[in-house]
Amino acid sequence: MKRFNRYALYEVMAPLVGFAASMALLMLIVVAVGENPGNAVDAIWKMTFATSTRTATVLSTSVPLFLAGLAVAFAFRANIFNIGVEGQYFIGGLVGAMAGIYVPLPAFLHIPFVVLAAMIGGALWAAIPAALKVGRGIHEVITTIMFNNIALALVNYLVNGPMSGLGATGSLEPQTRHILPTALFANIDWLFRAAGWNVPDSVYLDYSLPVAVLAGVLVWFILFRLRIGFDLRAVGTSTDVSLYAGIKVAKVQLGAFLFSGALAGLVGLQEIFAVRGYYTFQIASGLGFDGIAIALIGRNSPVGVAFAALLFAFLRQAGYGLQFFTKVPNSVISVITGLMILIIVVSNELVSRYIKALRKKEAM
Amino acid sequence: MPMNAAAAAPSSGGDPAAGSVLLRMEGITKAFPGVVANDKISLELRAGEVLALVGENGAGKSTLMKILYGLYRPDSGEILVRDRTTRIAGPRDAISQGIGMVHQHFMLIPPFTVLENIVLGSETSRLGVLSYAKPRAAAAKLIELNNLHIDLGASVEHLPVGLQQQVEILKILYRGAEILIFDEPTAVLTPQESDELFKTFRQMRAQGKGIIFISHKLDEVLDIADRITVIRRGKVIRTLDRAEATKPLIAELMVGKPVILNVDNPRLPPGPAVLEVDKLGFVNAEGVAALRDVSFRVRSGEIYGIAGVEGNGQSELIRAIAYRTRISGGSVRLLGADLSGLDVRSRRELGLAHIPEDRHKFGLLLSFSLADNFILGSHYKKPFVSVLRTQVRRQIAENARRLIAQFDVRAPSEQTPAHALSGGNQQKVIIAREMSAKPRLLLANQPTRGVDVGATEFIYKQLVEAKKNGAAVLLVSADLDEVMSLSDRIGVMFKGSIIKEFERESATKEEVGFYMMGEKAR
Repeated sequence: MKRFNRYALYEVMAPLVGFAASMALLMLIVVAVGENPGNAVDAIWKMTFATSTRTATVLSTSVPLFLAGLAVAFAFRANIFNIGVEGQYFIGGLVGAMAGIYVPLPAFLHIPFVVLAAMIGGALWAAIPAALKVGRGIHEVITTIMFNNIALALVNYLVNGPMSGLGATGSLEPQTRHILPTALFANIDWLFRAAGWNVPDSVYLDYSLPVAVLAGVLVWFILFRLRIGFDLRAVGTSTDVSLYAGIKVAKVQLGAFLFSGALAGLVGLQEIFAVRGYYTFQIASGLGFDGIAIALIGRNSPVGVAFAALLFAFLRQAGYGLQFFTKVPNSVISVITGLMILIIVVSNELVSRYIKALRKKEAM
Repeated sequence: MPMNAAAAAPSSGGDPAAGSVLLRMEGITKAFPGVVANDKISLELRAGEVLALVGENGAGKSTLMKILYGLYRPDSGEILVRDRTTRIAGPRDAISQGIGMVHQHFMLIPPFTVLENIVLGSETSRLGVLSYAKPRAAAAKLIELNNLHIDLGASVEHLPVGLQQQVEILKILYRGAEILIFDEPTAVLTPQESDELFKTFRQMRAQGKGIIFISHKLDEVLDIADRITVIRRGKVIRTLDRAEATKPLIAELMVGKPVILNVDNPRLPPGPAVLEVDKLGFVNAEGVAALRDVSFRVRSGEIYGIAGVEGNGQSELIRAIAYRTRISGGSVRLLGADLSGLDVRSRRELGLAHIPEDRHKFGLLLSFSLADNFILGSHYKKPFVSVLRTQVRRQIAENARRLIAQFDVRAPSEQTPAHALSGGNQQKVIIAREMSAKPRLLLANQPTRGVDVGATEFIYKQLVEAKKNGAAVLLVSADLDEVMSLSDRIGVMFKGSIIKEFERESATKEEVGFYMMGEKAR
């Protein structure tokens, strides 16, 4: 048992060392740009952990990132490379918004209803690539990238056409009608205050946060406690071994793909139901691709993905800090983020090889 | 030590005096994170000798040879070629020092002709235009000198395995190799092809070349080697002269304890037929008939062995029984049930168990714990799942601990990932899993491939045990000795058909070998 803990310690250390190395690199760049590193640290601190408002913002920013990472990670576990999270959350958000705009329900039903609708929307958008993958062997990377573009075009058309709310809202920005108040995600800052953390209600800590937490717990439970999770991880490790063991590989991959899409459907909830209150094709894009990096850093485990999402949220806020308070351009953060992904993934790999060798020695 | 560095250039290629030292490896140490693969290994190879390198899997033979061929860099130690210290940084250096290697998996380009494969990497050209005249003449001479039988114009993909190996040999001879390394060259050959290979060895030996021969087959080692170096756990245990070497002695040095390779394998009165294969045909995706009219029965309480050179339909046959639903003709029945419409799970429910030929590819989830690997295939059933379809951790762990004890799997705990185990122990995990399902039909496809002597004996005992428990056992092996010593009946496969069946009592190695070559097929 003591051994086991040592391995776990190494596994935790790897990303931390990677993080520290990237921060050191960042400081080198700061010096190269001619800025005082002390100022830069101060600027980052101000935008991230200086006040409870800033910290709450990091947490809030991490919610969609976490869900995107979770969706990618779940598919990864079954050896499916779901690049289509992007399109799936655009469609999932759209279907969720439709449920919020057109279906009048009391609030206690309406909230779960729109969440479910968003999941179904995401799963539906994953269904065709999933069927093509399982039935015809067409690689999901190709199809999901295509479907991302189709999704964007589709929501663009719908928001400008049949679902346009321009007349109803008086806005000049293309958008749908407003979502019914019963479906809007209220803030849960009161919950944090009750726990003794003074969070202002200006930060979006809303129903999407518990939804994300529930989704994470659910994914963990499926993967590591349910028999179907065992099947799924087995398929992800080796389809050949799974086939020989009598696991229905195609069925498992189909299910994993659809559920990944369903998780992706949740990514847009915060922005649509808490921030905007309507749907538009201009909701934040690129989260699906962030999700790939987050899943990679988080090693496809729900806990790892949570930390990776927080890390990404931290970096995003840190970038704003540098931009506001120093002469370091925000884009430096993109460079550092990329480097950090590389460094952490490499150090994860090195550590897992080292552990593998140690275990081998122990078993000999 | 590089004392006489002023001696003749290493690549002079002249006829060295027989018995002079071609190669000396001194104090070679190579550690991987956590494992010392080679621990101060020293050996020498003389001109005009065959040096056999034997040891269990994981003993360090391959690492040592990879160091010699420049694929790994040693942590310490020296390599002296013809008494000159040499730094070998890659295969290119090795080749220029006259070291050549025939790998287990051939490094040939299938659509190219033999000659094209031979010149590959050292092409001669004039003004950029490839010229073949000189290489052809040189290769033809080498073919004659070394008891090879290849047509330089044939494309490699159409050659049988034995001839492809000859192409590999020719390739390294063409590059002027004086030191030739063979990594388990007979693993893929028939007895007759092995004999041909050994003739070539003798020819090369007579020319003063030095041959390092890695093999698990002790009979062959005793047949061809002049000296035998035994490696165990990264160390040279002893180097024997041919005269003092015996099979039990080598086996004992290899595993560190005496082993008995004879398994008590009584013939039992056969029970009812468990597996019935009738006129089974299979046409693969390339349109080739991989199986043609295969018919045989395996009865309860017997081991039916399939002998044959690899690639004659054995794998296809096993697949048809184990999981494939599409066949081109005939039928496969297990306890009377037609398998063609059944998925793998239903077949397992009927009593099918399977030791697959490639344990890494088909048998184990390497990153999963032993406990998880032990339940694979019955993981969906009680007691491993609850009514709520959650996994029952306690039962899974208990099952693992029981099997680890019962099958003597050497592992620190049931939570150790499968990749940490040695090959023999990994195979034991698979066998424990499949045997614990109490099979009616056990498919054993190359069950002892790449496992050490100790584990081999254990596996033999388990197969006999299964038969004694009333299972029907279908054994496929490329090792004819294995098939001969375990099987009650033997079917010889050639080009997708079973061309001959033997009863155990009437089978001789030579006779079976002839059928394996297809000699008596028509």
